Amino acid sequence: MTMRSSVAESPSSDALPLEVRNITKSFGTNQVLKGLSLQARKGDVITLIGASGSGKSTFLRCMNLLEQPDGGDIFVHGEQIGFKESRRGREPMDWRQVERMRARLSMVFQGFNLWSHMTLLENVIEAPIHVLGKPKKEAIAHARSLLDRVGLLERADYYPAQMSGGQQQRGAIARALAMEPEVMLFDEPTSALDPELVGDVLKVMRDLAEEGRTMVVVTHEMSFARDVSSQVVYLHQGLVEEAGKPEDVLGNPQSERLKQFLAPKY
Amino acid sequence: MEQLNDAGSSGVITQLGQMLEDALSDNYIFTATTLWHYWEGLVTTVQLVCLALLIGLILAVPLAIMRGSRRRWVKMPVYLYTYVFRGTPLLIQLYLIYYGVVFFDGFDISLGVTSVHVPSIQETWLWDYFRDPFVPALLAFVLNTAAYTTEIFHGAIQSTPKGEMEAARAYGMSRGKMMRRIILPSAFRRALPAYGNEVIFMLHASAICSVVTLLDLTGAARDIYARFYAPFEAFLFVAAIYLCLTFTIIAIFRQLEKRLLAHLKPLS
Repeated sequence: MTMRSSVAESPSSDALPLEVRNITKSFGTNQVLKGLSLQARKGDVITLIGASGSGKSTFLRCMNLLEQPDGGDIFVHGEQIGFKESRRGREPMDWRQVERMRARLSMVFQGFNLWSHMTLLENVIEAPIHVLGKPKKEAIAHARSLLDRVGLLERADYYPAQMSGGQQQRGAIARALAMEPEVMLFDEPTSALDPELVGDVLKVMRDLAEEGRTMVVVTHEMSFARDVSSQVVYLHQGLVEEAGKPEDVLGNPQSERLKQFLAPKY
Repeated sequence: MEQLNDAGSSGVITQLGQMLEDALSDNYIFTATTLWHYWEGLVTTVQLVCLALLIGLILAVPLAIMRGSRRRWVKMPVYLYTYVFRGTPLLIQLYLIYYGVVFFDGFDISLGVTSVHVPSIQETWLWDYFRDPFVPALLAFVLNTAAYTTEIFHGAIQSTPKGEMEAARAYGMSRGKMMRRIILPSAFRRALPAYGNEVIFMLHASAICSVVTLLDLTGAARDIYARFYAPFEAFLFVAAIYLCLTFTIIAIFRQLEKRLLAHLKPLS
């Protein structure tokens, strides 16, 4: 389908997989993002940390336009998303461009959001078949290998409600991988899980980071941020307070706020 | 004491048996002719209800989608339609359609030099259909069931988990694709129990079509009651048939729910 050809046509291979510049966003009179930028090079694992309300989830959701930013530019593999002003405010010029772009940035949600009326396997093959236009056979074979990878092959025919939270989240990661995405966006993937289930999900994410996937991760898991990420961004009230290598940002925090944020709470 | 009870209950059974035997031995009501009459009524009822439900279902899907639209001029007409048809008795709707259509006289509209003739229904090909009471009855039932079904589906569509729709958008689905692949399949499943009730309601409501001279099950029962002046026999028999039909519908929906709602039940 058109999807695939557009991937082939995309600009030079050294273009950044994802770049956002100067994103702003307000909910009513409350400005939650005050001009945030981010560059993800190939293989980067960028973790966004910050207290709740710092805007990190909103920032992530602006990257694939689940929230409409009020200002700023988004580039996916060098291709800029066009915006126009309308009566309802700023909105994408061409929704098909947005859909094409979203198909290249797959997202993993805090609440898993697997489609509840489909089995796990159906969840994984849905978008590859119906969005990317992949042949069904190929999609199933790929899905099975991905489910095997996240340790859920024997759960392929289960419905989401029949699985634990950790299994659902690993299934959701398989669903994201099935799109062969350029960048994976993780929105607090372990926050809704019981503590004993967090490990499995983090392990899968570590594996993905090791094989060179480009990832943007909103998380509260400091150990993941420290060990896995190539860049840590600390947000405070819609602004970047500190950013850099994890050993610098987490090992040697400069600002008082970050020091407090990182200090053991109990 | 127990013996007494035993004797009592077996006495009742013999008595009932005797009554049944008497009833059957001088049964002059349920002959081949009357049974055939009931059969014809059954065929009409099943045809009418099935057709009405089928057409109503097909109409209800786009209407339910329109009903949930954000645009006022799309959702308001649908809302008005369901409001009117759910807010008035089916019998009145049937009377209006059956008796009402013939009262539109043809008339002429003059447009300067020419004039356009608006025909009455008797003057058009439609009259061939509307002369037969089946068509007006079907139309009334279709409009009624479509209104209820629209509201059932609308509710089910509205209750689609927001996160699942968000996931559909995040994976690059367009609105139409999300509707076809995610929202409708899950909404239909959720609507199944309520829709099963609507089907049963429609079957029972179809009894009123006999007032427009349509010979359905109830109509057949009324004929037989009138001929033999045997209200209990005539109507109990027909009630039993309705009961069987209802149980068949319930059984079908139970099977459907078992298969299609499996995803809502946790394994245990």
